[in-house]
Amino acid sequence: MSDIQVTLTNTAGISSVVSFWVFVGSNALSKKKEHLVKAAQFVMLIGFAALTAAIVTRGFESDRFPLSNLYESLLWFAWAVMGGYLALSRTYDLKQLGWLASLTAAVFFLYGSWLPAGQQEIKPLVPALVSYWRQIHVPPLIVSYAMFFIAGLSAFVQLWQAGRLRSVLLAAIALTAGLSAIGLGTFTDVNTFYLQALFVGGSIAGLVAAWLGLGKISEAKVNEKRAELYDEVVYRAIMIGFPLLTIGIITGGLWANHAWGSYWSWDPKESMALTTWLGYAAYIHLRIHHECSSEKLSLVAVGGMLLTVLTYLGFNSLGFGGLHSYGKFKD
Amino acid sequence: MRLSAFASVKLTIALMTLIAVSILVGAWCPQESQVGFQKVVETFGAENAGYLRQWGITDLFHTPFFLGLIGMLTVNMIACSVQRVFPKARLLKQKMPYLGEKEISKFPVSREMVLKTEADVAFKELAEALKKQQYSVQIQGNKLTAEWGKIALLAATITHIGLLSLLAGVTITSWTGFNGFKPVPIGGKLNFGESEHSKLWIGKLPPWEVRVDDTRRENYASGDPKQWYSNLSVVDKDGKVLHKQEISVNNPLSYGGVDVYQSSWGLDAIEIAFNGRPTQLPLRQMGGTHAAFMQLDENTTMIFSLRGQDKPVRVFAKIPEWQQPKMLAEIPAGYASKFGEVQIAYLKAIPVTGLQYKSDPGLPLTYVAFGIIMLGVMLAAIPFRQVWAVAVAADPIDGAPTCHMLLGGTSKKAKTDFERKLEKLSQKISVKFGTVELATSSAAAEAAASQEKKTEVETTAATNG
Ligand code: HEM
Repeated sequence: MSDIQVTLTNTAGISSVVSFWVFVGSNALSKKKEHLVKAAQFVMLIGFAALTAAIVTRGFESDRFPLSNLYESLLWFAWAVMGGYLALSRTYDLKQLGWLASLTAAVFFLYGSWLPAGQQEIKPLVPALVSYWRQIHVPPLIVSYAMFFIAGLSAFVQLWQAGRLRSVLLAAIALTAGLSAIGLGTFTDVNTFYLQALFVGGSIAGLVAAWLGLGKISEAKVNEKRAELYDEVVYRAIMIGFPLLTIGIITGGLWANHAWGSYWSWDPKESMALTTWLGYAAYIHLRIHHECSSEKLSLVAVGGMLLTVLTYLGFNSLGFGGLHSYGKFKD
Repeated sequence: MRLSAFASVKLTIALMTLIAVSILVGAWCPQESQVGFQKVVETFGAENAGYLRQWGITDLFHTPFFLGLIGMLTVNMIACSVQRVFPKARLLKQKMPYLGEKEISKFPVSREMVLKTEADVAFKELAEALKKQQYSVQIQGNKLTAEWGKIALLAATITHIGLLSLLAGVTITSWTGFNGFKPVPIGGKLNFGESEHSKLWIGKLPPWEVRVDDTRRENYASGDPKQWYSNLSVVDKDGKVLHKQEISVNNPLSYGGVDVYQSSWGLDAIEIAFNGRPTQLPLRQMGGTHAAFMQLDENTTMIFSLRGQDKPVRVFAKIPEWQQPKMLAEIPAGYASKFGEVQIAYLKAIPVTGLQYKSDPGLPLTYVAFGIIMLGVMLAAIPFRQVWAVAVAADPIDGAPTCHMLLGGTSKKAKTDFERKLEKLSQKISVKFGTVELATSSAAAEAAASQEKKTEVETTAATNG
């Protein structure tokens, strides 16, 4: 990696951390809130621009499309989370989502920087990945994952604004269990069965408990207008992510058909993406059906977020195999 | 059972969830049809693997349970589509009715203003601004309607037609297509006799075969594979060549409705000459290397180990007394070594190419379906928006004309975005013409409202929910 690429990537990483703290500060200093939110968004914009430049530089330095291993895909993910937040905040007045989005970007930078150096190096590709299809197939998927992440984060804010503090806490536990399993699977040698149990058990228990806890409302905290706004942001983000996921899955099928002669082979990663897709299809139909409260829909969106994490990172870190294990880095 | 019993969205959601969970389980457990039962045993141990097999989890995607779920979802989708989704496409032709002040003020998003200009001037400005935002605008007298993103009404219809076409395409393939994999050494032939097909198969196998004329591997400097190539000839029963082509990964041969793909590559055998007499020894993959074994007598084994096609072969001998085989020599291709009486020459390594093949007659339909589905889900992201407006002349102020304008509408999705845009629009118009305090205007609004002909109009928005 050249110095310039490292500098740009670090700038982006630091910006995400700085904007996180400025967002947090905006909550503490309510007098200067508007200014601080603007400042935090500006810092994030700088980070976004730096990351864009870093990715482009990486592409030129490696002389290929810079999205072929886990490290690069994490950069793209952080890029899309930042970009997605910035784009949505042009339409919506999003304050609380800001610190969550910058925190997400920062965590993904950190995750990427902790990967073994071999993953960060620019390495040649195995035969299966030498194809222009790669750049058609992967970016929509990563961007859709990022949009689903934003949807999940907005769902947390929605629940909070609707006064469902207990459910927020329980859903946060579910998410933490899932992310811990991923982290442990990436950086330690804990038995994958335990990690799978932690992920699945934690998600299900946390979400079911959060669902049951919806009845408990902290009236003093309710801000209906904001809750409604975030409900809409969840829906918006999903309706942008869903077509991208659809396109990603289908172009993956086209590529597989082109390369291996079969557009669908129930490869674990494919299957997981299909599960995620069905999960969001269920969300869309629940929504159209008009029988589900916004809060329940928010929990479905958090569930979707967990499925997204499982699809995106769970495969390598929780020990699923298959054709897509090129992102793997622990033997 | 009547079809309509299946037309429930609740059932859809339940089925989607169940299918999603099943697929998750299928992703978690290695599938026999992909990696073989042995892999399941390795992962879970023999006993657990036995249970998993009993419950159908090791081949989940072919179980009657899973296929049944898919079948039910299909029926559900057909029923729902026919009963409620497709009929909605008719809304596309429906014209927006012109609404009066009363109806417009009932919309959740509406703005009222009294402008210091004439009604039709203000109206023209509004129409222009809406057109700039890509609305299609209709005006009748002092009433205006505008809509944007109407095509989104087709999203569900298009997506569901796409999904049904996909199921049709997949069904055609499973009834008439075939596929398989075969490792073929140079000079060998691929025929389709061992291909796999579904139980309900009514297809036909081609009469011709594919001959492997050559195959090679291209490496990165590090020695990792970069690309695999095979030169193939399509030959008929009499050996006549019908077609020739070089294939590589991502670049298959297509002939007569069958596609042949480069899917793997390896070394099949080495050719060795003992005192000038050539023989072939089959190679076995042993981790990163290939090895051939030759039993010399009861106790002695010769091992030929090969790291790559252009690497020298290493000759080992093993007898029970030795802990490890001993290396005797390293012979590059085309060279020989003498071991006592025997001269061993390493002639060449014979590669084998892994060919995947398939015939997929439903593919064109499947591809069309892919296109339709992508179009449909993209349309679903578009918010359908409708705007109504009325402008009536109000009492002149200091001799200057004024008008009373009411503006309102709905958006099926992204409501906040819509509200903001409408707010901006009305502000722009207010600023352009200047406004009068609204207090005076409610009287004007009353008056205007009572002038309205009280026709009962059902709005498109109302039917859309
Ligand atoms: C299999 C059974 C299914 C049934 C019974 C069903 C039923 C429905 C119904 C009743 C609607 C509402 C139409 C409207 O109000 O305009 C709808 C919309 C929709 N469905 Fe399905 N659906 C099914 C499967 C799927 C699947 C698997 C997808 C996957 C993409 C899907 C994608 C959509 C989309 C994109 C919409 C439009 C959403 C919108 O306009 O915002 N459907 N579906």
